Amino acid sequence: MIYIYFILWLLVAASTFFVKSRKAVHILSGFYITLHAIFAENLFIEKLYLTTSGQFFTFDEIGSLFYILLVIVATFVIIHSKEYLKDDSLQDYKRYFALLMLLITAITGVYFANNIVITWILLETTTLCAAGILYHRHSKDTLEATWKYLFVCSTGIAIAYLGILLLAAAASNNSLNYEELRTLITEGNPLYLKVAFVLILTGYSCKMEIFPLYTIGVDANFAAPAPASALISTGLVNAGFLAIFRIYRLYADTELIGWIRSVMLITGIVSLMVGALFLRRTNNYKRFLSYSTVENMGIIAIGLGIGGVGVWAALFHVVCHTFIKSSLFLQMAVVRHIYNGYRINRIGDYININKVGAIALMVGMVVVLAFPPSPLFISELMILSQTIADDKWWLMVVMMFLLCVVIYSVCQRIIKLCYQPNQDELHPTNINRGLSYSALSLLVMAIVLGLWQPEPLIQLINKIVTF
Amino acid sequence: MTLIYLSIAERFRNYASLIAVQGWLLLGIALLQLHTLDWLELSFIILETLIFKALIVPAILMRVIRQTKINRISSTGASQFNSLMLSISAMVVSALTTYYVADSSIHMVFFGVALYAMLCGLILIVLRSRIFTHMVGFLVIENGVFLFSMAIGVEMPLLINMAIMLDILMSVLMLGLFMTKVDDQIHTDNSNSLTRVKD
Repeated sequence: MIYIYFILWLLVAASTFFVKSRKAVHILSGFYITLHAIFAENLFIEKLYLTTSGQFFTFDEIGSLFYILLVIVATFVIIHSKEYLKDDSLQDYKRYFALLMLLITAITGVYFANNIVITWILLETTTLCAAGILYHRHSKDTLEATWKYLFVCSTGIAIAYLGILLLAAAASNNSLNYEELRTLITEGNPLYLKVAFVLILTGYSCKMEIFPLYTIGVDANFAAPAPASALISTGLVNAGFLAIFRIYRLYADTELIGWIRSVMLITGIVSLMVGALFLRRTNNYKRFLSYSTVENMGIIAIGLGIGGVGVWAALFHVVCHTFIKSSLFLQMAVVRHIYNGYRINRIGDYININKVGAIALMVGMVVVLAFPPSPLFISELMILSQTIADDKWWLMVVMMFLLCVVIYSVCQRIIKLCYQPNQDELHPTNINRGLSYSALSLLVMAIVLGLWQPEPLIQLINKIVTF
Repeated sequence: MTLIYLSIAERFRNYASLIAVQGWLLLGIALLQLHTLDWLELSFIILETLIFKALIVPAILMRVIRQTKINRISSTGASQFNSLMLSISAMVVSALTTYYVADSSIHMVFFGVALYAMLCGLILIVLRSRIFTHMVGFLVIENGVFLFSMAIGVEMPLLINMAIMLDILMSVLMLGLFMTKVDDQIHTDNSNSLTRVKD
């Protein structure tokens, strides 16, 4: 079943490379998203959910949840991209949309892959598609960022591959299906299993944007057009998270789970630390939002590290972060249209230039900082309460301190954008407030989740964390 | 031997030749080690090592050298002696690690050499300033990964081969497309110039 969709998605994406008008690009991208919507509908209404398609794909709970999020974000990204890139040449325009569709298809594959090698192959495919998107502007900066992205991601993915090989050796089996591996590795060589986890975590960290290879995600978000950054910072980051989470789940029945959690905890703390520190240092709003992603992924890794209710909170945090971060990046796309740049120390007075956008950014600031009614408040509170329940007071103190630094930095930067006198020339285009409203709607979805968590979502996350 | 020579080589043509030699060596190892495999899987592995590792990648490296007219490693960076010392240290570390880590299910020689290859690749990337050398370092790491997959005794099903092929495809793309673009737009081959994107 999924292979038919894959072929259709790839055909639509490939056709986009050869069309001769923008209207055709719009029709094809609209058709592409409609296909995804039909597939999502099939997943839940036609009961494809929890079935296996072909040999390598299973529509499990976590894959389906992330897929729904991907379809929502991708729809917004495609709509915003049309406006954002309207001044580009047709050649660049159609190449961008084709690569965007290929990227979305590869991410979809990562979500549903039930085989560790398929996950790896598709994650590498995302690197290829994303690299093309990063180089969209053909400038020196984007070339440098693309080169670094390709190089570091390839090295990272090669490291992850070593981990996969070691895992296969520890399981003493050729099958690399997650379910089969889970039972096989319980009797595997503990040293191999430990090294395998560290290698896979290191390799996939370039996708999840956590320590140690987080820098490349920041560069990618900086170089990509802002709507694509919204997808990279949420859909692709979620793919990285999912790849790591599936490995984390493999170890649940082994004696090593305590050690694995310690590794996740250390990774999470360092990521949170890096995110908090660089939020103060950077002078670019897109890099600033990327460091916010690093910080949030750090919190998620801490959630996995402490275990218990922390795992539930981590999952909920990922879901809500997807809405919030995509909304903020899409707002940044509007900011770029007005200022033609993202320099923090230069641009300002946004409240008088685009009131809707400024208010949306300030609401986004409150929500991303986990102030009520933000859904992140719930997840962070759960993680903090678990640290207290585990008597890890030191962790709570470190987290609280770093979160205070984050709050200060984010407030200062966003308020600067809204109120400091503007020193840059404004871009001579009309402000499209519709896009600000559109991006705000994603934020509203997140706030709704903060006030009311629908029962199906709770049930879904409960099932995911029961292993 | 090729790994030790890589640490002291100065000319880029030597790098390309060594990568080609490694490709042929890997082909030989694959033929010797995997002859028991199903003919489809075996032919796939032979094709990918022969075509990509032994022929296409070295050919692209040579073409890049001709196009960019870069012949030697940059004068900046570590000296040949330091590089050789580091390489020998890496060999000792690899041997010791293999001795302590490898169990009966692992081919110790391949494991040790694979580890050494990966460390050599990392040393090339860290010590040398030219992007071309970084690319060679990446290819050496890839060769190490290939050898590693044989060392651990997994019988390399078709899927793993596809994974390796995708990685090789990535290397070819990086080499063929990017080296020329980096040279065209940044007008230098020195990685020190790649410092515009930072905080």
